[in-house]
This record gives sequence, structure tokens and C-alpha cells, in this order.
Amino acid sequence: MTAAVAAAPSASLIEALRARCAGQELVEERTADGMPTLWVPAGALRGLMRWLKAEASPRFEMLYDLYAVDERQRSRRAPGLPAADFSVVYQLLSVRGNADLRLKVALRGEYPHCPSLCEVWANASWYEREAWDLFGVVFDDHPHLVRIMMPRTWEGHPLRKDHPARATEFERFQLDEARAQREQEALRIDPEEWGMSPQGEDHDYMILNLGPNHPSVHGVFRVMLQLDGEEIVEAVPDIGYHHRGAEKMGERQSWHSYIPYTDRVDYLGGVMNNLPYVMALERLAGIEVPPRAQTIRVMLCEFFRITSHLLFYGTFVQDVGAMSPIFYMFVDRQKAYDVIEAICGFRMHPAWFRIGGVAHDLPRGWQQLVRDFVDWMPRRLDDYEKMALKNRMLQKRAIGVGAYDTATALEWGVTGPGLRATGCDFDLRKARPYSGYQHFDFEVPTATGGDVYDRCVVRVEEMRQSLRIIRQCLEHMPEGDYKARHPLTTPPIKDHTMRDIDTLIHHFLSVSWGPVMPAGESSAMVEATKGLNSYTLSSDGGTMSYRTRIRTPSFPHLQMIPAISRGLMVPDLIAIIASIDFVMADVDR
Amino acid sequence: MEYTLQRWPRGGQAPEETGPQAGGAPDSPESLHKQGILTARLNDLVQWGRKHSIWPFNFGLSCCYVEMATAFTSPHDVARFGAEVIRATPRQADVIVISGTPFLKMAPVIQRLYEQMLAPKWVISMGSCANSGGMYDIYSVVQGVDKFLPVDVYISGCPPRPEAFLEALMLLQQQVGAEQRPLSWTVGPQGIQRGPKLSRRDSKRAHRLAATTLRPPDEV
Ligand code: SF4
Repeated sequence: MTAAVAAAPSASLIEALRARCAGQELVEERTADGMPTLWVPAGALRGLMRWLKAEASPRFEMLYDLYAVDERQRSRRAPGLPAADFSVVYQLLSVRGNADLRLKVALRGEYPHCPSLCEVWANASWYEREAWDLFGVVFDDHPHLVRIMMPRTWEGHPLRKDHPARATEFERFQLDEARAQREQEALRIDPEEWGMSPQGEDHDYMILNLGPNHPSVHGVFRVMLQLDGEEIVEAVPDIGYHHRGAEKMGERQSWHSYIPYTDRVDYLGGVMNNLPYVMALERLAGIEVPPRAQTIRVMLCEFFRITSHLLFYGTFVQDVGAMSPIFYMFVDRQKAYDVIEAICGFRMHPAWFRIGGVAHDLPRGWQQLVRDFVDWMPRRLDDYEKMALKNRMLQKRAIGVGAYDTATALEWGVTGPGLRATGCDFDLRKARPYSGYQHFDFEVPTATGGDVYDRCVVRVEEMRQSLRIIRQCLEHMPEGDYKARHPLTTPPIKDHTMRDIDTLIHHFLSVSWGPVMPAGESSAMVEATKGLNSYTLSSDGGTMSYRTRIRTPSFPHLQMIPAISRGLMVPDLIAIIASIDFVMADVDR
Repeated sequence: MEYTLQRWPRGGQAPEETGPQAGGAPDSPESLHKQGILTARLNDLVQWGRKHSIWPFNFGLSCCYVEMATAFTSPHDVARFGAEVIRATPRQADVIVISGTPFLKMAPVIQRLYEQMLAPKWVISMGSCANSGGMYDIYSVVQGVDKFLPVDVYISGCPPRPEAFLEALMLLQQQVGAEQRPLSWTVGPQGIQRGPKLSRRDSKRAHRLAATTLRPPDEV
């Protein structure tokens, strides 16, 4: 298949790792995605990570993902792996070396302990809090290991296998006065807990609660602020108000019927979310996607990149004070949705990609619709440039505000336009072309300032590049199938069914139960609207996933807010929040 | 109360006396109407005003909010319904649209925001999640916002289209127009009298059944 996986690190890297944990065993695991995967002893973890980050070749600058797995109900674990009740998985990314590495740690016991990596990577903190909250893994030496997704009043760790999944398995929800009181109490800010102090040496600070419902925090998101006048002394983001258990949901939906849930993760990204999920499954099942399906996918993904970026553009400009542009931009979004709807039959959440292809062939007459849109859009972008980007007031609010450099971005796990605005041109569509991106002629826009303004400029330029890609799809759409002819595609191909009872039974089971995916582990990464998005799926050879991990770009991006907003004013924070371009579903899942 | 109603003629001539003292035409609504004066019961006027100025609270939970915001922008233009005055504080808002998933961790916050709104206030539940939990029967989601808030209008869809939101707004206007509320705690009968429950599914049934040709999926 054309989807390229990162270059495997040379055998020498694995040898070097072996040498570094001399005496202790290092087990290699084969995964369907071909990513080098090693089980390492917990004791050696911190040392190895430090070395991988600072000295290894290539150096792994980014802690890309960190999550736990409840291994207690595994039925098809590969032989030879270390025994484990829980495991913690670390996925590292080397941007310079364009390589991935996955390390796993096997843990035993009901509340297992694992060394914290907060000292090594700044962004480990939230990931570890998440693994504690959802799985009950204790990270030793974590500075503040408290719940992050669930309310403080919650009991249990919901992603454990023995924890009920459905709300309807619990008692019917009631919010009587006592409970409301208790929950409100749990939401109260205790400044000391978060390292903020209401009293300074000679004057008092103000503790301000921004959110979880505030017009400029883009969803249900809270930032606790310690202010000296209007100056931010400390900012503490608080998330989890949008947690809807998307990962647990994967463990009870069939492989096929989970697709609509992916749409709702980055809910502005539409079918872009389907892509890493179905790609991971296609790798697991060994499905080759026909070129037409790949090109259709690319075209729709780029449409959604434009609608998402337009929403960012409008709300960002509005947040710094310009009211009109968003009204114009929603007209364009409407036009884009007209095309999307004509093709997919739905606006925001089409759930239109299928395992092995897409749901339907392109409708007759699609070319004209797409052409009208790509002809319409560039002039509008020119207008917006005059209206917004060249506006002196906007420039004053945005240039030089919330700036960070590439090293800081990598340290915090920042990807996507937020990384490219610092001058790093890492775009997965170029670095590891998937779904046929290698056939397209486009550029990766970058900027050098790394500030609020540059993050906006990069996205605006990305829209132009997306239009270029869409035009190429229009001009060179390949003929052929819109779905692979593989028995595990969904819904299964109908033509074979009436031939004999064997295929009929197969079809019936595949429709009613869903396809049975081979046991194994697979992941796929895409350059989504907001940064790198990936799905890691573990199959025990059933009709449902054993563990679904969704790595979303917005989660680490929010974690970085304090680091770039200290010393600024509250209005700058609003500009920073707008420039990050997140949706809370992409943070809390 | 003694009063005189006068009509100022276009030509600028001195007004003729038409009030009761002049012993002219009777002061009937019809004759007033002819003079460009509208008479109404204060209660009806207030109701009419309420119905056409439902100010929404700027509040959103998740995906559905994007479609709601779409309804606020120019292509759909919510100003046609007098509902474009979006308020950032619950104190000034008349309707809260629960557009999105009622998360467990958010429920006490939603409840408090609702309590902060001043009466008369209404609730629109937008989308499957807010209606019933939708596709999220999961530990962290309350199965419908009506578990802790009184809902006036439900909109189905995941997400509902912006047009559906406008439809709901019109439905709410109808309901509000049919509601009888006391003008104050010293005037008239107390308590709220609501109109009959309305259902678009029923009222649009004939229209739906009249559709015989649907767009085939392989054509644009
Ligand atoms: S009803 Fe659908 S679109 Fe609306 S919030 Fe729920 S999942 Fe999102």
C-alpha cells in the first residue's frame, strides 16, 4: 500500500537501547503498522527516555503520545511479551529523523506504579494525569497527579475493563440540591493547589475564573488565572468538561459502526477524522485502497480543512475585535457544505469513509460543483487578507504575542500549523505521504515568528494550498472502484452474495456482526486540520476493538497555554486561545 | 383617566378635537384605527413583544453549537426572528439553547447558568445528545438535558441543520405567543397558562407526504 510508515530506525538504535538497559530484557513486538515497538523495563524507562530525547540518533524530540491499556482481559496477546495487568505506551516522534518509536512498559497489580516522565518532557503531565484518571495507573514523582477528565467526585477509573461503559448501567442521573452543591464544591478553585497564590509580598492578586462557559474560550474549557492587575501571573487550564468517552466507545461498537464516532472527535474536521481510523484498520487487514477512493478521500479531507480553517479565521478575527469577516466566511462555509452535502449527503458529520474506500461513488455532475467552489474561493481569501490580515488593529493585537520557537513547540508536543508557524516545515502529507498525497503538487506554508499572527498566516496559506489540491483532484480524478474488493471492507460487496450460500453467509455475518479484524495492533497518523491526529487500534481478533487510542493534536496544544501566556495581558490570552484553533471534543474526546 | 386623542393633519392645520369633550365620533377601536392608532390589551402587547424578541444566551456545548452559530450568520440570518441579540450573560437572555452533549461534569454548570437567567425563560434542546444522550450512552454523558432542566422545544438531528434551529425558534415563538403570564404579581390572575403542545412532525405531515420525488444519491 502507498501509505508510508516512518522509516524504521536502524537496527543500531535498537542495539544501542539494548546496551543501555544491560542485564534487563528488552522485548520486540511486531505490529501491523510496522512501527518499531519495544517492551522496556519500568526501572530503565527514565534513563532511556532521556537518552532518546537528547543523544540517540535520530533524536526523538517529541513525546507524541502516552496512554495506558488494561491488559487483563486480553485473549490473543502475542506470545513472549512480558506479563502485564496494565501497560503504559509511549510513542515518540523524531521530526528531524522523520521516525517513530513505540515503547511499552508492563505493569502488575491493581494500582500499578510507573515512573513519571514529567522531568523529561513538559507535556507528559497531562497524559499521565489522563492515564491515572481513566485507568488508575500511579505515576511516581508526578508533581500533581489528580483527575483531569472526570469530575473530582467520580469514583473508579472508567477505561478499565471492569468498569461499566453505559450511562444506562448506572442509576438514573439526578441533580438534586445536595448533589449540585457537592459538584459545585468540587469545581471551586483552590489557588494553592495549582501553585497560585492570592497574596503577594506587598499586594494581593486576583484569582479569576475564565470558563467553562465563556464566549471566547471556544467551547467548554476553563482557565484559572492569577492576575496582577490585568497581567497574567499564572494560568492553569482545566479540561474534561467535554469528555464523552470516545475511546471506551470503540470497545463496544463494531469496527464499522465506530466510524460515525470519529467524525465527532474533531467535529470541524468531518471526514478527515475517518481517515486515520480507516487507514489503521486497512493496515491491520491488509487492504489496498484503489486510487479513485484515495483521491476522493483527499479531496474531501481538503474541503474540510478549508471549512475548519475558515471557522478558525472568522472566530479568531472576531475574538480580536473585528465583527464582520466571520459573516462573510460563513457564506463560504455554506458554499463548501453545499458541495460536501451533494457528495456525502451530510454537512458536518458525514461518516462517509468506509473500511477499504468510501461509501459511494461521486455523484454525476460533481465536477461543476467543485469547480465553482475552487473558482469562488481565492478572490474571497484576497478580500479577507485586506479585511483582516492587513488590518493594523489586528496586527497590533497579534504580532509578537504568544510566540514560541520550534524547540518549545516540540517539547510540548505541538504539531500542525502551530509548529509550522515556528519555521519547522513538518507536514505529514509531505514527510510521509499517505492516501496518495505524493501525487499532488502543493507547498507547505511556514512562517518564522511563531506568534499568534503567524499561526493565522500559515492557516490562510494552507487554505490556498488545499484549493490547489482540490483542483488537481478535479482535473485528475482516476477512474475505477470507489472501494476495495477485499472481503473485510464494509459494507461487504454485494455482487458475490447471490452466487452461493458460502458468500451469502459471509455477507450476512459481516453486515450483522461487522467484519472480524485479525488480531494485532495498528496505527495511522494524518495531518488533520489542527495537527497530527492518529488512531492506535488493538484487536483481539474480534468484531470490536480491544483498545482504541485517539491521539488528538488539541490536547497537548492546550497544555502549553501557561508557558506562553505568563506576563501577558488577559486580552492577549484571548488572542492566544483563538490562535491555537482547538475544539474541545478534540481535547477531551 | 381623562384624555384627548388628536390627529395632526398633514397640511399642518390646527388639529380638530376628536376627544370625548368635543362630543365627536365615538372612541371606538375602529375609529382610532383609522386615525393610525392601535389599541390593545397591555397583556397582549407584552406577549407580542416577548414573542418577537427572544434573545438567546451565547452558550454552546459541542458540535451542535456550530450549526446553531451557522444559523446566526448571514446566510440564515436569525435577525428575521428578532433573535439576533446574542447575550453573553445569562441575566440578559431569554432562551438557552442546549446545543450539544450534556456532559456529566458540565451538568451542574448548565444548571447554574439556567438558574441565573431571569424569568420568563425558555430552553431549547438542540440535537440528539441534548434530547436523550443520542449516540453517547456512555459513563460521562447525562442521557438528555431534561433530566435536570425543563425543556420547551426539542430539535432532532445530529446535528440538526441550521434551518431546523430556525424552525424550532419559530415553534418557540408560537408557544411564547400562546402563553399567558401575569403582568405583575399584583395584576390579574397569577400563574402561567401555556398553550397546547405543538409538534412539527404532526403539523408538517401532509407536506411531507406530498413529496414524491427525492433526489437520488448519484446526482447532485
Ligand atoms: S447531537 Fe450529534 S452533533 Fe449534536 S452534539 Fe451530539 S454528537 Fe454532536
